[in-house]
Amino acid sequence: MAVALELNGIRKSFDDFVALDDARLGVEFGEVHALLGENGAGKSSLMNVAAGLYSPDAGTIRVGGRECRFSGPRDAMQHGVGMIHQNFKLVKRFTVRENILLANPRGAFRRATAAIEREIREQAEALGFALDPARRVDTLSIAEQQRVEIIKVLIAGARILILDEPTAVLTEGEAQRLLATVREIAQGGAAVILVTHKLRDVKNFAHRVTIMRAGRTIAVLDAAAADADELATLTVGSNVVAPSRSSKPSGEPRLIVTGLAGRGTEGHSPLVEATFSVRAGEIYGIAGVGGNGQTELAQALVGDRLPAAGTIEIREPGAQKSAVTAATPRERRDRGVAAVPADRQSFGIATSLSITDNFCVGFVHDGRFGSPMRTDRAGMKRAAQTAVAEFDVQGVRSLSQRAGTLSGGNMQKLILARELGRTPSIIVAHSPSRGLDVRACASVHRRLLAARDAGAAVLLISEDLDEVLSIADRVGVMTRGRIVAEFEPPVDRHAVGRAMVGHA
Amino acid sequence: MQSVLLSWLANSPALAVPYALAALGLIIGERSGVLSLGAEGLMLVGALAGVGAYLSFGGAPLLALLVAMVAAAVVSLLFAVLVVLLRVNQVIAGLALVFFCQGMTNLVGTTTGWANRTVSGLHDLPLYPMSELPVVGRILFTHDIVVYLTLPIFLIVSHFLFRTNYGLRLRSIGENPEAADAAGLNINLYRFAAVVGGSALVGLAGGYLSVVSAKIWIAGMTSGRGWIAVALVIFARWHPWRALLGALLFGGIEALIPQVAAAGIRVPEYFMLMTPYLATLGVMVWQGLRGKVDADAPAALGQPYVREERI
Amino acid sequence: MPDSNAALPPLAQGASWTDGLRLPLGRFVLEVRHDMPAWKQALIVGASILAGIFISAVILVAAGVPPGDLVGEVGSTVIDRQSFHAVLVQAGPLILVGIGASIAFRARFWNLGLEGQMVWGGIAATAVSIYQIGPEPLRLPVMALAAMLAGSAWVALPVFFRMKFAVNEIIATLLLNYVATYFLFDLLYGDWKDSGDAYPHSAQYAPAERLPDIGYSLNAALPIALGVMVIIWWLAEFSRFGFYLKFIYANTTMARLMGVPTQAVIWAAVLISGALAALAGFVISSGSEGRLTQGFFEGYGFSGVLIAFLARNNAVLAAIVAFLIAMLFVTGQSLQIFYQIPFAMVQMIQAIIVMCVAASEFFIRHRLRFQH
Repeated sequence: MAVALELNGIRKSFDDFVALDDARLGVEFGEVHALLGENGAGKSSLMNVAAGLYSPDAGTIRVGGRECRFSGPRDAMQHGVGMIHQNFKLVKRFTVRENILLANPRGAFRRATAAIEREIREQAEALGFALDPARRVDTLSIAEQQRVEIIKVLIAGARILILDEPTAVLTEGEAQRLLATVREIAQGGAAVILVTHKLRDVKNFAHRVTIMRAGRTIAVLDAAAADADELATLTVGSNVVAPSRSSKPSGEPRLIVTGLAGRGTEGHSPLVEATFSVRAGEIYGIAGVGGNGQTELAQALVGDRLPAAGTIEIREPGAQKSAVTAATPRERRDRGVAAVPADRQSFGIATSLSITDNFCVGFVHDGRFGSPMRTDRAGMKRAAQTAVAEFDVQGVRSLSQRAGTLSGGNMQKLILARELGRTPSIIVAHSPSRGLDVRACASVHRRLLAARDAGAAVLLISEDLDEVLSIADRVGVMTRGRIVAEFEPPVDRHAVGRAMVGHA
Repeated sequence: MQSVLLSWLANSPALAVPYALAALGLIIGERSGVLSLGAEGLMLVGALAGVGAYLSFGGAPLLALLVAMVAAAVVSLLFAVLVVLLRVNQVIAGLALVFFCQGMTNLVGTTTGWANRTVSGLHDLPLYPMSELPVVGRILFTHDIVVYLTLPIFLIVSHFLFRTNYGLRLRSIGENPEAADAAGLNINLYRFAAVVGGSALVGLAGGYLSVVSAKIWIAGMTSGRGWIAVALVIFARWHPWRALLGALLFGGIEALIPQVAAAGIRVPEYFMLMTPYLATLGVMVWQGLRGKVDADAPAALGQPYVREERI
Repeated sequence: MPDSNAALPPLAQGASWTDGLRLPLGRFVLEVRHDMPAWKQALIVGASILAGIFISAVILVAAGVPPGDLVGEVGSTVIDRQSFHAVLVQAGPLILVGIGASIAFRARFWNLGLEGQMVWGGIAATAVSIYQIGPEPLRLPVMALAAMLAGSAWVALPVFFRMKFAVNEIIATLLLNYVATYFLFDLLYGDWKDSGDAYPHSAQYAPAERLPDIGYSLNAALPIALGVMVIIWWLAEFSRFGFYLKFIYANTTMARLMGVPTQAVIWAAVLISGALAALAGFVISSGSEGRLTQGFFEGYGFSGVLIAFLARNNAVLAAIVAFLIAMLFVTGQSLQIFYQIPFAMVQMIQAIIVMCVAASEFFIRHRLRFQH
């Protein structure tokens, strides 16, 4: 098979952070080539170079044997390289037709609209989808939006397709369908690069796999022949021991949610009716693919948005149940609720403020750091110092440096230091290991397990099924805004998977 | 009483024109994602340039209006460079532009001697034979040419925005510049063009105000109409036709003020002058009451675009 | 209106902007900086202010002011006794509006209604004088208090509209300026007009209603302003309120989720802002004017915004910048007298400086690189 894309000796750094250091990739036409690595390995960066979004500091790019230098994504597209990103480049308010027309002009508007519609239908048929070009993108499901992206890129004439973590937002069934489609596209002669951190997808659908770690290419293997353990070891580098979970009896329910429905826009919300409870000393994991109401659930629990219906009740240790459905975030925190948000940079940390400030904001109002007229700055610094040491936050040159300079994993450690430092009785953790590498992930899990052992009720909402299965005691499955099934330990993965798709 | 009513309705369209044209110009810029608060200043530039051109080029009103458009477009280049190229905060840049224009027009108006000199403006163009109709004839068919042209201008811009490739691209940049960038569009170029083009219309609004409506240039003569136009755009939810309706409303309010005195109703002068501003506030509050204001804005409005890359 | 306060979206450590300019040998690539040491930032801002001043100077020279004289005029504001005195008099109210603007901006509230609040400050103080509220020895404090209450009340409307109805405060506060001005005219041309002459101003205040002199023929305006500066500085730096404000500015949603009483803090900050602007109005009416006049507030609105912007919302820096703006005002006044340059020039110079400083932030946030 002919060589489609070759990247050699690629180097890319941002200020003092080295994203890529001698990265290589070779892909042939007609194959599905997986790019495997954990979070932070450099996969997305390398692909951004291939798609013309980054310009490499050093190294060469060859398309079809000829050396190229891309001046931008449009240039890359003209060479046949099309990328489908994790966050889709779609204008939500436009229809499918308008979005594809935007990227693929076809002359005068009226005529172009009709022409592009024909092409969309043809492509969709060829791939076996049903796609209505007149529908607005914001009315489509994530899986359908992804198909729009694929068709957009194919119509533009891409012969080298890059899919960045495509199955992260899909259910198991949708993921299987996608990957089967991808295989067909490759069979049709295109080269497909599948960026992923899921070993199963690599084994089942890729021909060859390139493994990256810390910005370097470590190995290139035959996917079918390679051993799963070998792949895992190469990806991670050394053995990281996953924290073990000891079984412990759990106590009384601390967090009781009944019939919670979200407010949403125009009267409907992804959160339809959630009912569950979390007991003291347990981790209750809510599994489910994103977009099924998890974010709205987290928002309602934390006090960010008022629910439209339903109740949230809390029972503090040694007290009666009380409703906090409409309570302010302050009231909830005073009652012992701690939250680890999914979008760290937007809601967990004020990136422009110092590490000290970010740590202490969780405690200022209970008078720990001085009176209203004068805050105890020395005391704040001391407390932050202790916390940083205890929670092993790396990359801290000075406590007054901007918190935005911390890496994702260290930011999360700081957030945990703040939230757990109040010995909360209820913890709401939403996708706590999103974007973190295996080491940071293990560290986060260890903290959550420790909190659980100390008696806290931990609610873990995560789109990563592996995460949920590894640390949760009980598992609830959330689909279409409801908790559709609950599982007691020992939890059967397949049963969970079935529950995730089972309900129409 | 009837003649008061008739006068009021007949005067409204001409007074609505500045609001309409300014709002339309702002819509073009904002649809590309650039929040433009500089309308008040650009209208002043258009107003001064219009009178200046009229006085300097021998009294040709249409030429004066053209010069007004060009002058505002040129000044808007400064704003465009600041917010599109240099990614300056669009609120600060807009405010600075307004005050810059206020100072500059005041300065230029005085040093050139264009201030406080009357011009004869544009004649009304009765559309014979419809202008002979009772009542309706005066209200709809006896206006100057700019009033008549306003409707076709709206039609053209509307068509451009919603039925052409360029309009699609412009709107996509205002909604999701990342998607537009990935599609290969030159974000800066489109935004520049939108801001400058829209500003030309804002300049025309200002020129109309001085050359045709008031027939004079006085420092600060726009008196907040630019700000009302900004509010109008929000009220119109960034749709040209709704903006036209809003403009008619405000033209009507402005036309009402002299008619109230003519009708013999005694209201303190300065309280009457407050009405357009209070009305604007009222409209904004009403809109807020009805629900989500932000939901209709172009999604990327006010955010400078950098080909953002997250690690 | 969407959050017009959005600064550039949060960027991870450095990012590249590769649609750079294409030149024959290579192209310019723009990169986003990580962080820049404070001294370097100060240097760039300083350079941009100088650039703004330089551009303004060029315009002034083009308008007919000989360069040597220009330098002389500016210098005289510090050297010449009379000019320096004028600067000190001007500085008091400017410090107050500057700090007033900055404390609202710290809460991410664009209070552009400073002039309207000043107007109401003057009106309230004059009302106390006209209706002789309070015993004579206490008259001044009562006037000041009335002014501050009026200013807070006037700004409370836009705050309420924003909190309850999501009405954009930029437009709301600006529109209310016009309303306040017309109200003032109604009073000055009507009920409160001094029958003694043909001018639209109120009757003179009684001696007990004038700001006391503190020597050197200066009145108490400047000490009041400096006292306010110290209070606000303390609030911002050391108090819990200041800490909360810091967070609200950095990330309002997160602040709320962390339990910071965001609504209360924002209300407080903006009400203080209105009170300070009104206090400036009081200080002018009761100080240099001695009565309620027609245009006493002109130019202060944008000056306040400019001061806050240049001082990065810091109270002490605001006082320093206010002093420099006062120098600009006085220079403008003498240019008007001696060279017939309209006072509007001052406004233009202020706008030019703002644009230069705003543009300079681009260089603080980015680095230009040439790539082959």
